[in-house]
Amino acid sequence: MIFTLTTRRAIRAAAVLLPLVLAGCASLSQDGGYSPVQSLVKERSGQDIQWVKSEDDAAGVADTIAPLLAKPLSVDDAVKIALLNNKGLQASYSGLGIAEADLVQAGRVANPSLSFGRLRRGDDIEIDRSLMLPVMSLLTMPFASKIERRRFEQAQLRAAGDALAVADETRHAYFSALAAQETVKYMEQVKVAAEAGAELARKMAAAGNWSKLEQAREQSFHADATVQLARAAQAQVAEREKLTRLLGLWSKQAAFQLPERLPDLPKAPQEIGDIEMQAMQNRLDIMMAKRELSGLAGSLGLTKATRFVNILDVGLMHNNYNQGPSRENGYSIQLEIPLFDWGGARVAKAEALYMEAVNRSAQLAVNARSEVRQAYAAYRSSYEIARHYRDEIVPLKKRISDEQMLRYNGMLIGVFTLLADAREQARSVNGAIEALRDFWIADSALKMAQTGRSSTAADSKPGASIVAAAD
Amino acid sequence: MVSRRNFMSGAGAVAIGASLVSRAGAAMLPEAVTMTAAATQPPLSPPNGRPYNPVVTLNGWTLPWRMKNGVKEFHLVAEPVLREIAPGMKANLWGYNGQSPGPTIEVVEGDRVRIFVTNKLPEHTSVHWHGQRLPNGMDGVTGLTQPGIQPGKTFVYEFVAKRPGTFMYHPHADEMTQMAMGMMGFWITHPKDPSQHRADRDFCFLLNAYDIDPGSYTPKTSTMLDFNLWTFNSRAFPGIDPMVCSQGDRVRIRVGNLTMTNHPIHLHGHEFVVAGTDGGWTPPASRWPEVTTDIAVGQMRAIEFDATELGDWAFHCHKSHHTMNAMGHEVPTMIGVDQRDVLAKINQLVPDYMAMGETGGAMGEMEMPLPDNTLPMMTGSGPFGGIEMGGMFTTVKVRKGLARNDYKDPGWYRHPAGTVAYEWKGSDASMPAAARAPDAGGMAARPGEKVLKVIKPGSQDKH
Ligand SMILES: [Cu+2]
Repeated sequence: MIFTLTTRRAIRAAAVLLPLVLAGCASLSQDGGYSPVQSLVKERSGQDIQWVKSEDDAAGVADTIAPLLAKPLSVDDAVKIALLNNKGLQASYSGLGIAEADLVQAGRVANPSLSFGRLRRGDDIEIDRSLMLPVMSLLTMPFASKIERRRFEQAQLRAAGDALAVADETRHAYFSALAAQETVKYMEQVKVAAEAGAELARKMAAAGNWSKLEQAREQSFHADATVQLARAAQAQVAEREKLTRLLGLWSKQAAFQLPERLPDLPKAPQEIGDIEMQAMQNRLDIMMAKRELSGLAGSLGLTKATRFVNILDVGLMHNNYNQGPSRENGYSIQLEIPLFDWGGARVAKAEALYMEAVNRSAQLAVNARSEVRQAYAAYRSSYEIARHYRDEIVPLKKRISDEQMLRYNGMLIGVFTLLADAREQARSVNGAIEALRDFWIADSALKMAQTGRSSTAADSKPGASIVAAAD
Repeated sequence: MVSRRNFMSGAGAVAIGASLVSRAGAAMLPEAVTMTAAATQPPLSPPNGRPYNPVVTLNGWTLPWRMKNGVKEFHLVAEPVLREIAPGMKANLWGYNGQSPGPTIEVVEGDRVRIFVTNKLPEHTSVHWHGQRLPNGMDGVTGLTQPGIQPGKTFVYEFVAKRPGTFMYHPHADEMTQMAMGMMGFWITHPKDPSQHRADRDFCFLLNAYDIDPGSYTPKTSTMLDFNLWTFNSRAFPGIDPMVCSQGDRVRIRVGNLTMTNHPIHLHGHEFVVAGTDGGWTPPASRWPEVTTDIAVGQMRAIEFDATELGDWAFHCHKSHHTMNAMGHEVPTMIGVDQRDVLAKINQLVPDYMAMGETGGAMGEMEMPLPDNTLPMMTGSGPFGGIEMGGMFTTVKVRKGLARNDYKDPGWYRHPAGTVAYEWKGSDASMPAAARAPDAGGMAARPGEKVLKVIKPGSQDKH
C-alpha cells in the first residue's frame, strides 16, 4: 500500500521505523492459491473443481463435459458439470487471483511516483503536486502482509463456499427440473382421462342419454385439465432453464437429457451422530469466522503494542450495501505521530471491536448449529412424507381404483366415476413425485448445512453475522 | 339345526348359553332354541296343545315351545346374528334366536301364551305383537305401555291369542335402527277348528329391505328409501327357496311387509284371491281374483290359489328395482353410446376397463370380479340360462303327486314337447308381416329437437 505524505517532516518521522520492516516477501504461487480450494471442495462434495484460465483448460472442461451430456444426466454429473462450467464460479475463482495479487503486492515495496494536477475553477487555478515515496510501504509492510494473508485465506474459503453453493443450487434445480418433467407426464394422463370423459359425454348427449348440463360438466373437467397441463409444461421449461443456467450450457448443449424418473428413496434415512459438532468442524463459514477472529485478536495485540499504528479500520471497512452488486471490503493502515493522543481510546476501541467479533462469531455458531438441526429435521420429515406417499397414499389410491373397478363390474358405478378416479390416482402419483423431489432437495440442503454455509435466508437478516460481512 | 337340548324337560334345569340369565331365573325359563341354517325348515307339527296345520316359513323356521300349566311358553332372545342373504353374501344383522327374521310363532286361537324376551342387544328393546288384540300393557311400545327391556334383562309378555289370522312381531323401540337391522318375525294364530280355512300348503314370509354397501356387511340404519337389497325373509334371489306344491293343492302364501315401501306381489300362471288381511279372514263372497296384490307398508296379506298348472312359476315383487340386487343408482345410461374409439384412451388409464351397457343392461354370461360380499345384480340361472333377477324373486314349483310333507326342491320343470317358445326357423317370406303404425319413427322427438315451448304466464301481456 502507498501512503500519501504531504510534509517532509512526516517522511523523516517515518524513516525512524524503517529498520523494523523488510520481513518475508511473498511471491505469486504456481496455482494462484487454488489447490487448497480444490481440496476443501473435494473433501466436502467429492467433486473436482477446475479454474479455467487457459484455452487448454477450457478444452479439458469441454472434453470432460461432452460424454456426460451424451447420456441422461445423473445428479452427480450435473453437479460435476456445474462445478466445471458455471461461469459465475469462474468469476469467484478470479477473486482468488485478485486476493493473491494483493497479498504479493503487500510484500513488495512500491515504486516512487510523482503526480501533478491542475484544476481550474472560474479564475482560480489550483495546482496540486505530490511526491509519493515507497518508504512508507516499507514501514507498513509487515502489518499489511499479515492482513493480506488473512484476506487471501478468506478468499480461498469463500471460493470453496461458492463452489459448494453452486453444487447445492444445481442439485436443487436438477431435482426440480426432473420432478417438473415427471409432472408433465402425469398431467398428460389426467388430460387423457378428461379427454375420454369429454368424448364420452359428447356421445352420451348425442345418443340422448345426457343433458347439455351434464355434458358441459364433463367438458369443463377437460378444459381445466388442458390448462393444468399447459401450466405444468410451462413450469417444466422454467425449472429446466434454471438448471441449464447453472450448468453454464447453451445452444446444442442445452438439449441435454434428464432421466425418466427421480432417484428412488433410500432404503433408510441417514442417521447422523453429532451433526452439530461436525458442522462446527466442517462448515466453511465457521472456519472463516474463526480466522477472522484470530486476525482481530492479532490486531488487538498490535494495537496494544504499538498504539500508534492504526489498523482498526480493517473491521470497519466491511461496508455492506443494500443495493448494488457487492460490498466494499478493505482496510487502511495509518501511522500517527503520538503528540497528543497516546492511544488509550484506540486500545479500548480495538478491544470492543474484538469483543463484538467474538459475539458475532458465537452467534454464527449458534445459528449454524440450529440450521443444521433444522436441516436434519427437514431431511427426516421429508423422508417420512415421501415414504408415506410411496407406501401408503399411492398404494391406497391404487386400491381404491381396483375396488372401483370391481364396483364398475357390478354396475354399481359408471365409467365417469372410474375416469374421475383415474385422475385422482394420477394426482396422487404426482404428489409422490413432489414429495420425492422435496426429499432430495432436503438431502442436498442438509449436506450444505453440514459443510458449506448458510443457504437459508439467514444472511438476508440485518446484522445476522459477521461472516456475512467478511465473505 | 334346532338345538333341542333339554327342550321340553319341564321344570328341570334348562341350562342355555344365555349367560345373561341368572341360574335361578334360568331354571324357570323355557330354553331359547336357536337356528344356524338359512334354509327352509320343515313345518313343526304341534307335539302338544291344540292341534293345527303348521305353516312353512320360507327360509325360516318355527319356534318350539313348552306347555306349562296350560300356558304355551316361548323364549325369544334378541341378539346380533350373522344371516346369509344368499350364497356368497352374509350380513351382520340383529334378530331373534340366531336368525333374522326371528322364528315364526304359531299358536291356536284361544291359547294362553307367555313369551319370555331376553335382550342380548347392546341397547334396550321391546316386542310389539303387530295386529293382536291384547291387554294394552302387553302391546310392547316403549315409553307408552312399558319401559324398554334393558340389555341383559328378560321381560315376560302374556296374553290370550284371541283372533285367528296372520300377524307379525317387531320392536317398538328405536325402530328405525332395529328394523333396519332385521328385528322382526312372523306370528300365526291358527283357528281353533283345524278344518276351518284349511290349506294344503301354507307358506309365510316377511318382506324386508336392507342397505348394505357393496363390500360391507352391516346395513346402513339411516337409509329410508334407497335400499339396495330387497328380500323375502332376509334372503335375496337366488338365495330364496322355491315354494314347492303338489298339483291340485290349495296353496296359501302369507306375506307381511315391514319395509318402508309397498310391494306389488305377483304370481305367474295362476290367479289368486286375497283370503286374509290384517284384520282377519275375508269372507269368500268378497274375494276377487288377482295376479298381483299390492302389500302396503305394515300390512299382511294371505293369498290363496289352487296350484293347477304344472311348471316353475315366477313369484316376485313387480317393482323391477326390487328384483335386482345391489345396483348403482347413479350409473349413467350408456344405451346407444359407441365406446370403441374411447376405449383405447380409457384402457390407457384403467387397463381392466370393459365397455358395458351400450346395448342395455343385460350382462349375459360375463363373469367379472365384484367387491367382497356383494351379490351380482341379476343372477340365478335356470335351465335356459340366466334368470336375470335378484332380490324379491322366487318360484312356485307345481309338480304332480308330491307327498303332503314333501317340500324338497324338485329341480327344473321338464316341459312336455311343443310347450316351450321356440325360434322361428322358416323364411322371412313365410312369416306374417308385422303391422306398423302409419307414421312410425316420424313422430319421435330427436335429441336437440325443441319439443315443447313453455310460455310463462304473464310474460306475454302485462297486467
Ligand atoms: Cu318390491
